[in-house]
Amino acid sequence: MALRQRVREIEPNHYADWRAARISDPIEKLQYLHGAMTGRKSPVRRLFWRRLSLGAFVLITVSFLLPAPPAVSDASLVSHRQMFPETARKAPPQSFADVWLVEETDKEDVFSNGLRVDNRFSTPNQPRFYQVLDRKHGMTPSGDWHSQPVGIVYHTTESAIAPFDAQRNDALKRISKVTLDGLRDNRSYNFFIDRFGRVLRIVEETSAANHAGNSIWADETSAYLNLNSSFLGVAFEAQTGTDDFEPRINAAQVHAGRILTEMLRAKYKISSQNCVTHAQVSVNPSNMRIGYHTDWARGFPFAALGLDNNYNLPPASLSDFGFEYDGLFRRAIGPDFWKGIPLAEAQMAQDAAGKGSTYYAHKAALQDRYHRLYSALKLTGALEESNDATAKTSE
Amino acid sequence: MPQQKQVNNGSPVGLDVGTSRIVTAHRVDDQFQYQTQLNAFVNLPYSKMTENVLAKENVPHSIQGSGIVVHGNESERFADLLSVETRRPMSRGVLNPDEPQSLTQIQKIIQSLIGPAKSKGQKLYFSVPAASPGAEDSITYHEASLRQIMTEFGYDVHSINEGLAVVYAELESSNYTGIGISCGGGLCNVCLAYLSVPVLSFSVNKGGDFIDTSAASATGDLINRIRITKEDSFHFNGYFADKTHQALSIYYEDMIQTLVASMKEAFLASRSLPKLSRPIPLVLSGGSTIPKGFRDRFEKALQASDFPIVLSEVRVASNPLESTAKGALVAALSEV
Repeated sequence: MALRQRVREIEPNHYADWRAARISDPIEKLQYLHGAMTGRKSPVRRLFWRRLSLGAFVLITVSFLLPAPPAVSDASLVSHRQMFPETARKAPPQSFADVWLVEETDKEDVFSNGLRVDNRFSTPNQPRFYQVLDRKHGMTPSGDWHSQPVGIVYHTTESAIAPFDAQRNDALKRISKVTLDGLRDNRSYNFFIDRFGRVLRIVEETSAANHAGNSIWADETSAYLNLNSSFLGVAFEAQTGTDDFEPRINAAQVHAGRILTEMLRAKYKISSQNCVTHAQVSVNPSNMRIGYHTDWARGFPFAALGLDNNYNLPPASLSDFGFEYDGLFRRAIGPDFWKGIPLAEAQMAQDAAGKGSTYYAHKAALQDRYHRLYSALKLTGALEESNDATAKTSE
Repeated sequence: MPQQKQVNNGSPVGLDVGTSRIVTAHRVDDQFQYQTQLNAFVNLPYSKMTENVLAKENVPHSIQGSGIVVHGNESERFADLLSVETRRPMSRGVLNPDEPQSLTQIQKIIQSLIGPAKSKGQKLYFSVPAASPGAEDSITYHEASLRQIMTEFGYDVHSINEGLAVVYAELESSNYTGIGISCGGGLCNVCLAYLSVPVLSFSVNKGGDFIDTSAASATGDLINRIRITKEDSFHFNGYFADKTHQALSIYYEDMIQTLVASMKEAFLASRSLPKLSRPIPLVLSGGSTIPKGFRDRFEKALQASDFPIVLSEVRVASNPLESTAKGALVAALSEV
């Protein structure tokens, strides 16, 4: 039969696909895709050398852009940190497993804890290169640059999921492979854990993967903005449930996540409190709300991966940069509200009281500080999140 | 059966104008609600008593000259009682060129479902088929005529490709990427969408009416009676002792084979398909997909054809009769 087809030429848009997968409301998703597919711009990548040349300039610029002392004085923040309960963010003594590399080939790395990392799909990306913010000195950017990861962000791929049974083995393998190809094309994560518990290296550990977007996390001493360079990205092949917002991973994936985490923590001396989920770190600077991405907003198996329950830690996005959250985010995290959120709010209130300021004035000052730092550090290219930033500014 | 109560609450409306049925979709309290009328009518001789009974029972009807026209759902029952064929405002996906009352009757059916717009600019998306071979002009006339009817009702009217509506209704989980197929009364509409954008769409000139007409021709039954048999008791993969079921089975198979062959031809011929980074889902909808075993039979035919696109799944829509209207509503809501 001869057919009269209507054919429209169209370019693949992996970012829009990835971004849309994180929008739960069908109508909003369609609105987003209509916008993204009718007038999208290609992301612009800065060259590595340009970051270097800008680094020195930024150090000078930042000193001018930092907030005026009366708004959020370093002294008051320092004194207040001492008032805040020590248990809130202080890391317990860290111990690291004794894990070593047993064998290394182009195809596979074998580690002493049983971890096998498939290297066949490994690809380079932009080298890790980032500054940290000194929490004890008013979020001053560090003078030195870093190239070692200090944490791990866990993600879900939100890709197609077939029923996990032997009858669907071929489909499961095919979907994993196609998902892997897409993630590799986009340099999405450093590691991918498929549904059979296989650990595959996507972006080399020495390179930053495009996994975290606009994001914030902090440990006792330092804060990190936009974590692509400072944190490794580990993605589980999983999909967040549409009803309960809870991703489901199987025992093989949990085991793989555990031994991978164990290896990475041992290798880079990563503290447990810097092993967090994407939902915990993701922010939207355009509306100053947390939870722009909500993968692993609940249900992350911290204990099974040998980690402390980091949902109990106060997010620095709230406590140190004045971000807020909305009803959608509350819905995503569910009834087991992160204990860290009220802690962060209490810390904010104490900070405001200690300064003789109102809660809202203090929050506004912190937000202003974030914007100044963000603008300043963006000049380095360390905050380059072209895709995410483009999406947010258009929202 | 009493006339359905309109649920037009002033919010956007999705409308599936199909050859067999017209379905509306509204969103009420975050729930989708649907109403359906058969896209058919039947002429009855006029009598005062008949008119009174129809009025009392809230059966949609109108007086025309020396007769009474019953339209919508009740027309099938009356046609069966009187052993006559229902008349159809549409044929092969578009307004029936051989039916002089097509526009009048379709207007009445639509009016009985949605009534006039509740507010100025109330959005309405209605489904239109993709062109089938040689039928481009009739699509244009069909679309323009329906648009005029609904504009006169006061709506802000937009059209949406039927296959794309299926994608919008059923493939949210794959970011509106995949193949939506609507197997209706007149046509099978196929649309491949990538991230909500229709990339390739076409229709195949065989649907439920083809099966009914062909089977009726083979058995000598009334088309209307064949349709009722098909909808009540036909299923695939079974042993059929009677001639009607055997005939239905043969012509269903013909429709499936034609659809699969057309899809393969269309997808192979297209050089502009985007590079798909993962297998995509295919969803079937429409009244012709309802018989038990249809999905399996279709998937088997697809596998046998060496279809050129890798599919993650083949499934039937959760509500095959309503998914086109739902998709039209989703499109309307996304424009608000």
